[in-house]
Parts: sequence; structure tokens; C-alpha cells
Amino acid sequence: MTALKRADEERQALARKLEESNARLEEAQRVAHVGHWEWDLETNEVVWSDETYRIFGLKPQERPMELADVRGMIHPDDRESLFGGVDVDLSAGAYPVAEFRIVRPSGEVRTVHAITSKRWSAPPVDSNGTASGGARRLFGTVQDITENKRVAEERQALSRDLQESNARLEQAQRLVHMGYYEWNLITGRVTWSAELYRIYGLSPQDGPIDMALVSEMIHPDDRERVFRESDEAIRSGVPAAAEHRVVRPDGEVRTVHGLGTVKRNAAGLAFEMFGTVQDITDRKRAEDALQRSQLELRREQAYLAEAQSLTHTGSWAANFHTGQNYHVSEEIYRLHGFDPGKGPVGADSFYKTIHPDDESFVWGIIKNANHARTDFEIPEYRICRPDGAIRTLRAIGHHNPSGEMGEYVGITMDITERKRAEAERERLRQLEADLARVNRVNMMGELAAALAHEIKQPITASVTSANALMRWLAYDPPDLDRARAAASRIEEDANRAANVIDSLRSFYKTGTPTERQIIDVKEIIEQMSGLLRGEADRHTITIYSEVDPDTPNILANPVQLQQVFMNLMLNAIEAMKDIGGTLTIRSRIDPENRLFVSISDTGIGLPTGSAEQVFEPFHTTKPQGTGMGLTITRSIVESYGGRVWATANQGKGATFNFILPYNAEAPV
Amino acid sequence: MKPAAAPTVFIVDDDGGVRRAVQDLVESVGLRAESFATGQEFLSKKRTSEPSCLVLDVRLPQMSGLDFQRTLADIGMQIPIIFITAHGDIPMSVRALKSGAVEFLTKPFRDQDLLDAIQQALQRDRAARAQQDEVQELHGRYLALTARERAVMGMVVAGMLSKQIASEIGISEATVKIHRGNVMQKMQAGSLIELVRMADKLRPVLPQ
Repeated sequence: MTALKRADEERQALARKLEESNARLEEAQRVAHVGHWEWDLETNEVVWSDETYRIFGLKPQERPMELADVRGMIHPDDRESLFGGVDVDLSAGAYPVAEFRIVRPSGEVRTVHAITSKRWSAPPVDSNGTASGGARRLFGTVQDITENKRVAEERQALSRDLQESNARLEQAQRLVHMGYYEWNLITGRVTWSAELYRIYGLSPQDGPIDMALVSEMIHPDDRERVFRESDEAIRSGVPAAAEHRVVRPDGEVRTVHGLGTVKRNAAGLAFEMFGTVQDITDRKRAEDALQRSQLELRREQAYLAEAQSLTHTGSWAANFHTGQNYHVSEEIYRLHGFDPGKGPVGADSFYKTIHPDDESFVWGIIKNANHARTDFEIPEYRICRPDGAIRTLRAIGHHNPSGEMGEYVGITMDITERKRAEAERERLRQLEADLARVNRVNMMGELAAALAHEIKQPITASVTSANALMRWLAYDPPDLDRARAAASRIEEDANRAANVIDSLRSFYKTGTPTERQIIDVKEIIEQMSGLLRGEADRHTITIYSEVDPDTPNILANPVQLQQVFMNLMLNAIEAMKDIGGTLTIRSRIDPENRLFVSISDTGIGLPTGSAEQVFEPFHTTKPQGTGMGLTITRSIVESYGGRVWATANQGKGATFNFILPYNAEAPV
Repeated sequence: MKPAAAPTVFIVDDDGGVRRAVQDLVESVGLRAESFATGQEFLSKKRTSEPSCLVLDVRLPQMSGLDFQRTLADIGMQIPIIFITAHGDIPMSVRALKSGAVEFLTKPFRDQDLLDAIQQALQRDRAARAQQDEVQELHGRYLALTARERAVMGMVVAGMLSKQIASEIGISEATVKIHRGNVMQKMQAGSLIELVRMADKLRPVLPQ
């Protein structure tokens, strides 16, 4: 009994120990989230420890487990690979280690780690001493590593994030050309980010930086200020911000913007300055360029407005279909009689200014263009301004091809003054033409009077000779010799009369005023001198000509050129009419290959004061003069691109000169 | 009168055709003619005593015909002038005629008009020459008078009686009558009227 009791006590103690040990194991398993299991390969019975049940989301020893139950609880994606591997590993004699997921009844997925080993109930050993029949039982542990895994993954993710954010920071620094520095105020050590090296034109491999180097690289003109400001920041604790220039080793000057904050320890001692440095050279350049271009734009706009005002041209953009104005320049307001300073004016108000008589015309053009989606031009239409003034405008619209129907940009100009000037010019031109005609008729009258004498001479001679001839024939016997002599003189004088008439006719031969031909100036001078010699003689005036053989021919209208010569020569004769004198015509080619002609007289001379006034219209000294002779002469000469002017002579009288381009183009 | 001298027509015209034609016309009626292109040429010609006249163109290159007429008067050359002109106007012809021109013809003129004018001019020249000869004759007689006789003659033709003359000069009336008789005789005056007429003719050539 004692032995039995002792054995029983022993057994009880052992059982207690076992229980204790089991409990400790249980406790250990629970703390470590490790459970164990046994799998009877014959019966497929599975025995789980309490913790294993917990790991699988069950109550400890809730129910007996079979392999099928276990299989069912393995995550479907891991099931095949898990069981597929067991046989292979076991036959190879390896202890398989597997990590797989399980699905708890609640649906929660856990990741577990299992270690498997073989266990034999009665190790069957054959004659060769080799265990045969395979493992009858598998024993293993399972550990819930879900938390570990999550933590590991999180850590991994964190480190990845950190790496990425570092890279991003690096990239960001590069992108904005911003670097940072740490300046240990106690040791004087300076740490730079890679980008800061680049900003200073250095490479991160260039080694550590000290303040002496930094100071050296700051532009000499900015150095003192930068350090003064950072000292100030260190003392006051107010973050420093400074824009300054740095000089890169290659000499390039960059503009940077620095920001710095001071870090203090618990005692309030500044121990570090941390700051950023941004290269703003390009931004500054862009800003400057922007500022410049804005300035330029404003100036351009001012010029444009000025140009619009000068040319009385305004610009607009509008939709005629919807009656909407997108843009109306100030000049448009002014053209229509509105004050641009008094706020916007609706499209309708502009439309209303169109003169009622022109309304249908204007809208006809615009509507046609609207429908056809083409450009339009209204060459001329009238508006009635609010103040009642009638103005003539011209509008050009350019259809915006990408725009909607009726969308146009265009200009409107005030052509009132231009039209008035055109009308005035036309009137003057007409007047000038009329006067030129009057002058020519007048001149021909004078010429005809002069020539009447020239014709009367030969006629008188031949009539007288005819009388003499008859008298010689009346003799008894007739004096035939004298009669014959008289007859031949008659012929001679009749021819002479015919020549005079021819020369007059050549002058009268007009042709159209624009007809041009090559004119032999020498011949014209001879012809004119011949025509006027009689008139000159009558006033005891001698005509001399000094015509240079090089006198060029010119392309001109002969009638107009004769008119020029005639006017100037008659003018010279007029000046000497009562006192007689000498008229000298000179012609030559001037150094610029132009025809130069001067007509000098020894007459009364030019009016005191301006020699120019003789060319003024209606300036005359003759009782019957129109006062247009010299005016017309000037107008003809200038129409050929020439020039005519008067000079007083050294002695008596005046000289009129004119120059005509060698290959003068006649006016249209 | 010396009938031997043939009358001569002088022509001054710058137009050769007119000059030759007029000369021929003049010659065709049996008159002598000489022509010149300018007045200067005419002046350089030595004048003879035969009756003559001048056919003068109004318009001449250096000096107008009217101016030339004045020049001739200034140098004392008396010759009847017939003006011809291609563009005479009334003021011009009036001026010419007032200055003693015989005729003022506009070209072209009728030949007979010119020839008539020439005849008239020659006639006038003949008369003038005759008158001139007479004055010269009278002048010769006058020069034969003594100073006292000339004084007496002056007073006689002024209509003074012998008695008045005597008291004027301070001599006797009888002596005046003797002087008067001498004057009548030397001047070959048949009557007092005739002496007065002679005195009139002489007046232009005598000093005042």
C-alpha cells in the first residue's frame, strides 16, 4: 500500500508536473500565438492544442477535428500548394516549413507559419533496419504571424515611403532649384543638400563645405548684407529671407533666394541654422521679361490707340447676328461721336448712327456676308453723330472662320476729311487745267499777234512785187527781165509766208496733253526764238541763244514744253517792252544729267522782296495779263519732276531757270 | 530851180523781201531808189541836193522808225517820211503824222497809195527845197545890210513909223528914211508887204 501509495503519489506528482508543464506550454503557446497539432496519417484524425483552436478562430477543443475540416479552413489559394508539398518533403526526409493563410469561421484571414515533423507510434523497422510504411503521424506547430507580418509589411512600406519621399524631395529640390543647408553654429560645419551644390555650380562630390567657401561664392556686392541679415536672424530669432547673387566657379552669376530659421536648445542657445536656398535666376529673368513685355504691351497699346486716333481708324470685334460687341476701341467711340470716358455704349447705339439713306445698303452688305460667312467691305457710308454731324465712314470686316455665324473682327475709318481733300484736289486740278487752257489760248492770241506781223512782211513783199511786175509788163516794150525778177521774188516771199504759217501751225498742233514724245530741245528753242523774234523786234529786243550742243532731248508733251518756253520768253519780253534790251536763252545738260534752261532779260527785274511771288497765281504786271503764265509754267515743270525758279541779275533784269529730268515721265 | 536833179526814194526796212519789192516798185515808175536795212546805214549815206523822200518801216531792229524820225529832226535833216508798218495802231500813226510824216501805210498796202504818197512827199521836198533856196537867197541879201539897216528893217516889219524909229534909235527921221530905202533896195523888196513876208521867211534862220 505504501509502495502503491507512493507510486500513486509519485504518479500524482508526475501528473501534477505534467499538468503544470502542459499549462505552462499552453500559456507559452498562447503568449507566442503558437499551437501544436498531430495528424494521424492512417485515420486522418487531427489533434489540436487549445492555441491551435484559437488561431483557427475556434474555441479550444470545441470539437474533434478531421483532416477534411482542416483542409476546409485553409485559404483556397494556398490549399493545393500546402498539401501538395507535404508528401514530397516528407519522402525527401525534410521537415517542411510552410507559410499559408487560413480563413476563420468569422471570415477573417490570418497568416500562419507551420513547422512539421514526423512522429512514429511504433517505429516499424525492416530487416535492413530501414523504417518502412512511412510516417504514421505528423506532428507540428502552427504560429499566427499575421501581426508580425503586418508590422513587417508596414515597416517595409514605411521605409519604402521614406525612400520615395526622399527621392521626391530630391526631385522637388531639383525641380524648383531649391536646396537646403544645415549650419551648425557651434562647430561651424555646414551640410548641403545635393541640389544646393548644383545651385552653387559645384557637385556633391566636391566635399564638405565651410562658411569661408560660402562667403567667397556670394557676390562681393551682396556679401556683407547677407551676413548682416543672417547675424540679425540668429540674434533676433526672426527667420531671415534674403535675395542675393552667387558667383559660380565658372563665373556665371545666379540670383538666389535664401530662407533660414534658427534652432535653439532648451537653454535658448542658437545651435543651428537651417535654411533653404532657391535659384530664382530663371524665374527672375522670366519675371523681368514678363514685366518688360507687359510694359511693352502697354506701350504698344498706347501706340495703337495713338495710331488709331491719328488715322481716324478704330477696331472692333462683334457678332452681327446676335448684335453683340466683343471689343470696341476708343477710337470707334470717337468716330461715332460717343465719349469713351462715359462708359460702354451698346451695339444698337452704334447701329442707330447709320444715316437712314445708307441703312439698307450697309445692312445688305453685312447680312450677305453673314450668310455667306465671308469678309465684307463697306467702301463708304454716312453716319449721323449724336451731335448731328454727318461723317463718312468706311468699314472692313474679317469673318472669323472658327467663330459662330456673324462673328467678325474689323476696322472702321473716318474718311470724311480724305473725301473732302480728294474733292478739293479734284477741284483744284480742274481749275488748274482750266487755267492752263486759258493760258494757252491767251498765249496763242499773243503769238498770233506777233506772227501776224511775220506773215504780213512776206505778203507785203509779194503783193508789192506783183504790182511792180505788172508795171514792168505795162512798159512798151515790156521789161521782161525786171518782170521775171519780180515774179521770182513773189515766189520766194510766198514761200516765206507759208513757212511762218507752218511754224504757227506746229505750235497749234495740240494733241492730247498726256501725249509724250522725245523732244529736241535745241529745235524747240530755235522754233520759239523764231516765233517771238518779230514780237521782240517790235519792242527793240534782241534774242540771243546760247545752246550747248550737249543739250539733252527729253521725253515730254511738246505742247506743254512749248508753253513753258513761250510763257518764260513772253514774260522776258514783257519785262523789257518799254525799254528794249536783250533776251538770252541758254541751255545745257547739268551735272545730274538734267536739262537746264535759263532765260535772261535786261528788263525791270523782279519785284522787291520775294522772287517767288512771281509764281503766285494772279500775280501780274500786265494790264491784260491773267497772272497765271508763270504759275502754269511752274505747274507744268513740276509735273515733270522739274523745278523752275527766278533770280535777279547782277546788272539789270531777271533770269528764269528751269530744270527738267532727262528722262522725265509725264504726269498721268 | 535846177531841173537836172532826179528825185530819189530812200527805203529803210529790215525785211529784205519788202525792201527789194518796194525798191522795184519805185523803180518801175521811173524813180531812183536806194534801200537800207537799218537807219544807221541810211545816215551814213552822203546826201545830195536832189529831191528825195524816205519810206521807213516803223519796226526796226535797233531803233523804232518813230525814234529814227526824231533823230533825223534832231540832227536837222529834213526829209519827208512815209511810214509803212505791219501792225500800226492809231496812236502810233497819229504820233507819226504829228511829227511831220507824209503818210502812214499799213502793210500790205496798195501800190498806188504808196506811189501817191511818194509823189506827194517828193513834191513836199521840192517845195521845201525851193523854200530853203529862197530863204538862203534872202539870207544872203540880209547879210549885205549894215547893222543899222538891219535894226531899221526889224522895226519897219514890226509896223513902226519912221518917226517912231527915229526917236527910238535917236537919229533924225530923214536918216531913218535913207536907211529904209537902202533896206528895200538891198532886199529887193517891191513893197512893205513883200518885205514883211521876207522877214517872216528869214525869221527861223535869224538869231532872236
